[in-house]
Amino acid sequence: MISMKMLEIPLQIFRYREGEPPHYDIFTVQVADTAHVIDAMDAVWATRDRSFTFRRACHHSSCGSCSLRINGVEKLPCITRVMDVWDGHAPVRLDPLRNFPVVSDLVVDVSAFFQRMSAAGMTITRSAEPSLPLSVDDLAATGVLSRPVEVPESLSRFNRFENCIECAICMSACPTMATDEKFLGPAGLAAIYRARQKADNPSDVAHLLGLADGEHGVWRCHSAFECTAACPQAVDPAGKIMALRRELIARRFKVAARAAAVVPRTRNYSAPAGPTKHGGNGA
Amino acid sequence: MATLNYPKIRRAGRWFDVRRRRLGMWAYTLNRITGIGLVVYLYLHLGVLSLLARGQSSWDSFVSLARSPFYLGLDVVLLAGILIHGLNGLRIALTGFDVGVRAQKALFGILMLAAAVALIAAALKIFGD
Amino acid sequence: MSVPHVIVVGAGSTGAATAHDLALRELRVTVIERGEVASGTTGRNHCLLHSGGRYCVTDRESAIECIDENMTLRKIMPDLLELNDGLFVALTEADFAFKDRFLEGCAACHIPARDIPVKRALAMEPYLNPATLAAVQVPDGVFEPFRFCLAFLATARRYGAVVRRYTEVTDFIFSGKSVTGVKVKDRRTGETETLGADLVVNAAGPWAGEIASKAGVSVPEVPTAGVMVTLDCRLNNMVLNRLNKPSDGDIVVPQRATSVIGTTSWTVEDPDLITIPPEHVARMISQGEQLLPPVRKVPMRAKMAVARPLIARSGVDAREVSRTFECFDHAADGVNGFITIAGGKTTTARAMAERVADIVCEKLAIAAVCQTRDVPLASYRLFYQ
Repeated sequence: MISMKMLEIPLQIFRYREGEPPHYDIFTVQVADTAHVIDAMDAVWATRDRSFTFRRACHHSSCGSCSLRINGVEKLPCITRVMDVWDGHAPVRLDPLRNFPVVSDLVVDVSAFFQRMSAAGMTITRSAEPSLPLSVDDLAATGVLSRPVEVPESLSRFNRFENCIECAICMSACPTMATDEKFLGPAGLAAIYRARQKADNPSDVAHLLGLADGEHGVWRCHSAFECTAACPQAVDPAGKIMALRRELIARRFKVAARAAAVVPRTRNYSAPAGPTKHGGNGA
Repeated sequence: MATLNYPKIRRAGRWFDVRRRRLGMWAYTLNRITGIGLVVYLYLHLGVLSLLARGQSSWDSFVSLARSPFYLGLDVVLLAGILIHGLNGLRIALTGFDVGVRAQKALFGILMLAAAVALIAAALKIFGD
Repeated sequence: MSVPHVIVVGAGSTGAATAHDLALRELRVTVIERGEVASGTTGRNHCLLHSGGRYCVTDRESAIECIDENMTLRKIMPDLLELNDGLFVALTEADFAFKDRFLEGCAACHIPARDIPVKRALAMEPYLNPATLAAVQVPDGVFEPFRFCLAFLATARRYGAVVRRYTEVTDFIFSGKSVTGVKVKDRRTGETETLGADLVVNAAGPWAGEIASKAGVSVPEVPTAGVMVTLDCRLNNMVLNRLNKPSDGDIVVPQRATSVIGTTSWTVEDPDLITIPPEHVARMISQGEQLLPPVRKVPMRAKMAVARPLIARSGVDAREVSRTFECFDHAADGVNGFITIAGGKTTTARAMAERVADIVCEKLAIAAVCQTRDVPLASYRLFYQ
């Protein structure tokens, strides 16, 4: 029987009901010192206030539903240990995500978020790299080296879920989201990037790049990089936004270069009479 | 059944809320503050230049004001704004074209260090003469 | 004649799949869920899309259900699954001796099983215990229970179902001996409302007993909790199972960039608040370590525990309880218009729902056939739009 050290943790929780001004409630609950913040939230609901509402499902960073702000910083409470966010005396503050309408307490309305993810159309599964281990954190920290794997004969390849769990933490952390209601956001743009990588016909690619190049696409990003810093799943949305920009710019150059190549040929007034050189070298 | 968040600060104000934010957001906010500052300065500068059109005496009285220590201090502040906005702008231009994105934090550190060095050297020159 | 209205209590895998089936049969459906979708047992699932291998020796009924549903889910939700197969691994002589019975069981349950050379297994899974004595490959898969439920509910909504989250059932409305509706409270506003229904389906998992008691009946349910440990690193591509009868910590399910070791089993009084016993966590690590030695070097990302809605059978240890489900028609208890579904698992949720929907239609005298085997599910993202 391993003994468990119990803690009395104060939580300062954002409470909201439609039509009333929001306020904070402070609850002190007893949890194990190895508990995660989601366990403390459960304890508040089960033992202190049954009217406390919050989202959660998987408790292991795969559903993305529990995202909120802990002491002002966007995190997933299911993988955040209480001892990592509690200094031992001041209450741990829980607030809902920024940039989304609050429904009640810590529950936000994520419909606008899922509209964007639907528009990007990224399938949530992808083919897997032929190596293990797969780590969201620094491989070196685990001391385990990467090894290539063979795929079973019965399968053409391995597959896995995309890193992104659609938790919307990046959307909360992004300052552009605060001022542009229609911005596709880091998650939306990262999803467009992934969808573009997986797209296999030119019209899909054109559509995706069109979304990225649009009024509420990559050019709205102003390089705060908060999204990549806050993402619990190593999606690196900022990197993907910049990669999309690079592709969009490269395409513009190619188009311009092609246009430039055509012009001298059509103006070749000094061409000799007889069969022309059109269709020779060049585009 | 959704309703609006009860905001403590207006939404554009979120550009300037650096509480619990990381380096990238500090850079972002600094760029906005220096940007606004430089735009304000631009109008002031144009206003000052218009004094030239009002003749020798108004220009001379301005120049004597411009030599005061307080004004020289403002010049240093202006220079700080230019250096921060310009050098961070270089970082934003690079990363915006997908160059050095992984090193954006280090880039900020190096460029701001360069800005600080340049600023100190310039301040010494400005106040030294 | 107006369309009958069925209320489903619970938006876990049972409630979601049932709402989906009933909606496809053109009944009017309202799902009442007190939290977020899959916030109960289903959310904290081990995420294993069973091939049925685990049950092919001890519980063939379960095993056949699993392999059939495994194949059906591949058809109706192809983009929501990791399909890398699984291995049943022998680490001891006792495990090795189990292999013949295992292969026999798989054959009897039409589970495609393949005895593969150990060297090949180690090439596919480089972190597998090098002392492995045998490996059998089966069509295990991995899903995400939250998106699983969202997909069923999104499709149900497309066919007219209404899903009310943050709403709890506070009471039943009776007319004589028949349930004619429920009283619900919206937890966000505190407002109460009465909803009429022709039939109420109790799919509240380990809380089914609590719901049933509001209608004055009971359900022979034993809320049985289990702990799972999620590692910060994915050490296996394929599901790894111990080649033996089911026991604690004998499965490591990979998912995304993690590996999840599970599970344990103990009866809990209150499914609302479960404290995770540290010795269970330690046991998961040491069991996982047997299949994958580097387990101990990898930091723990999360741990979860939730009560499973197992059906009590007298005189049997909790682990031997069949994982098939049961449908209780409370007319037998003197309450009409109310049925409870208990037990079951997410892999077979669609099959459970089919049988429940058959019973519902029979009771409501509706001739409607199940279509859920063939209708591909709508995008889970549509649930929130």
